[in-house]
Amino acid sequence: MSKDPKKILVVEDEPDMLDFLSVFLHDNGFNVIIATDGRQGFEKAKKERPDLITLDITMPEESGVRTLRNIQEDPDTAAIPVIVITGVSKDFKKFIHERKTVKPPAGYLEKPFEKEELLAMATKLIGYNDKVT
Amino acid sequence: MDNSEQKDIYKNYFNEIPCYVTVLNREKQLIDCNRVFKDHFGAKIGAYCWELCKGRMCKCQDCLVEKTFQTGEPGHGEELFVNIKGENIPVYVKTSAIYDKAGKIESVLVASTDISEVKKIQKKLNKTRQSLHQIFEEVPCYITVQDSDLVIRSANRKFREDFGEAVNIHCYEAYKHRDEPCLVCPVMKTFEDGRSNQSEEIVTSMGGEQFNVLVHTAPLRDHDGKISQVIEMSVNITQIRQLQDQLASLGLLVGSISHGIKGLASALDCGMYLMNSGLEINDRERIEKGWNIVSRNVDRIRSMISDILYYAKDRDLQYETVEIKTFINDIAEMMSSKAESFKVNFKTEFGDSLGEFKVDPTAIRSALVNILENSFDACRKDLDKPSHQVKFNVYSENASRNVIFDVIDNGIGMDRETQEKVFSLFFSSKGIEGTGLGLFISNKIISKHGGTIELKTKPKEGAHFRVTLPRELISGRQ
Repeated sequence: MSKDPKKILVVEDEPDMLDFLSVFLHDNGFNVIIATDGRQGFEKAKKERPDLITLDITMPEESGVRTLRNIQEDPDTAAIPVIVITGVSKDFKKFIHERKTVKPPAGYLEKPFEKEELLAMATKLIGYNDKVT
Repeated sequence: MDNSEQKDIYKNYFNEIPCYVTVLNREKQLIDCNRVFKDHFGAKIGAYCWELCKGRMCKCQDCLVEKTFQTGEPGHGEELFVNIKGENIPVYVKTSAIYDKAGKIESVLVASTDISEVKKIQKKLNKTRQSLHQIFEEVPCYITVQDSDLVIRSANRKFREDFGEAVNIHCYEAYKHRDEPCLVCPVMKTFEDGRSNQSEEIVTSMGGEQFNVLVHTAPLRDHDGKISQVIEMSVNITQIRQLQDQLASLGLLVGSISHGIKGLASALDCGMYLMNSGLEINDRERIEKGWNIVSRNVDRIRSMISDILYYAKDRDLQYETVEIKTFINDIAEMMSSKAESFKVNFKTEFGDSLGEFKVDPTAIRSALVNILENSFDACRKDLDKPSHQVKFNVYSENASRNVIFDVIDNGIGMDRETQEKVFSLFFSSKGIEGTGLGLFISNKIISKHGGTIELKTKPKEGAHFRVTLPRELISGRQ
């Protein structure tokens, strides 16, 4: 159990969801950095090397999926676990099984999800932090 | 055997012939007859045949016997005899001339066969034919019979009603107004494989209407077992296909609604977490943020319900004459009170002499509010610009035929794909809200009023919706 708080990069274009994710994860002891589109998300991933990334796959122009692929292919970021958040489960599941170029992500959440589930997934992937609030 | 014995033998043969045999002289009097005739008609020698055979007072008009006397040729034909009991006996009569030693016709031999049974069968056959014909004619689907050149040999009433008197023209002409056979022809296939075939086709009636039909074909064989004709039966399934389309739309609607509700639930979760945690740590700012999210989304539930109800009922519009200024002021007031929670600067610019228009006010209000809410939300979603505004401008000249409503925002804008799909019931996976039901319904309402919506937009810059509505009802457009 590391003393330094773990860093999570939240990539999300919906302002309400962005607010919620950053506040909730911060409340639970994580450092949060944010990106509001895929391109920014990938740049920050490379620069900040977070311990975990949450990625909304339903961002415009398929940028969510493209970003996932970029993260997986770049050696600087390939090792970072990604939790994918999606609003359309059927399409994404089918998509992920059909595309050979994209590996299944470390975690997968369907909107609307239980916040406890997100927390459990994050904790499992990168370790536990003391709650701030 | 001597002559007398031979005569007796032949006399016996004559007598025992199993049909009615008479021999008549030129006056058509009875010279001789056999036993069967005697039993049924009597054997009065010298009596006229019309008396004996038919119980008539005078001779028959077209007499076969007379013809044979004149021509010497054998005759034949149907007749109706009446026996001694007075019963009608339908018979088939054959006559032949008997010559004397000089070569003159001295008498005529008449042999008549009882054809009562045959007549009965013929009657039954006719009756069956008639019923079949009735069925053929009255069946409520299209039936035609084609030969191997695809020429229609017979067509039932329903077919003739919708496609015209089509006998002796090609089926592809009658059904489809083509000059050559269809590429995939179930009738040809049946000629080839001798089996029943099916296909779905689109055909055009005489009146130019298009129908979806389900076609069944079956072979008709002649005595040799060869397929001489094919019967084609087509059932009109246009209504079913339309229902299917409606069901598909309904499916899309349910998908859209469920997607919308998922988004709502998700957003409410976000808002509630912020509120609850804010209350726990006494963070006023967080509480307000959370509450803002919750109240915005509760509003969305209201919009969603009215959209669903409108779609589900597809109600007939209730037109009223509405004073435009009051109408848009109401809308503007409602949107102003929402503007703050969206952090939007809401501005209105209304022309002077707007006058009145004839619309369904509930529907048009719904249509305009959907567009305005969409613009508000586009501003909320844009995280780049420091400030956002939505302009609602309405203008027209009093004399002008149309009223123009402009909704202009500097929100997140739309990419080309989104723009193209924005008014369709497309189940979008872009963002929590997606394109949803609202704009689709706006478009429907405005079209029904005979108006138009135009959209100009650029990603990251904003959008400009222009609604043009006619003041008066355009007849035939509702």
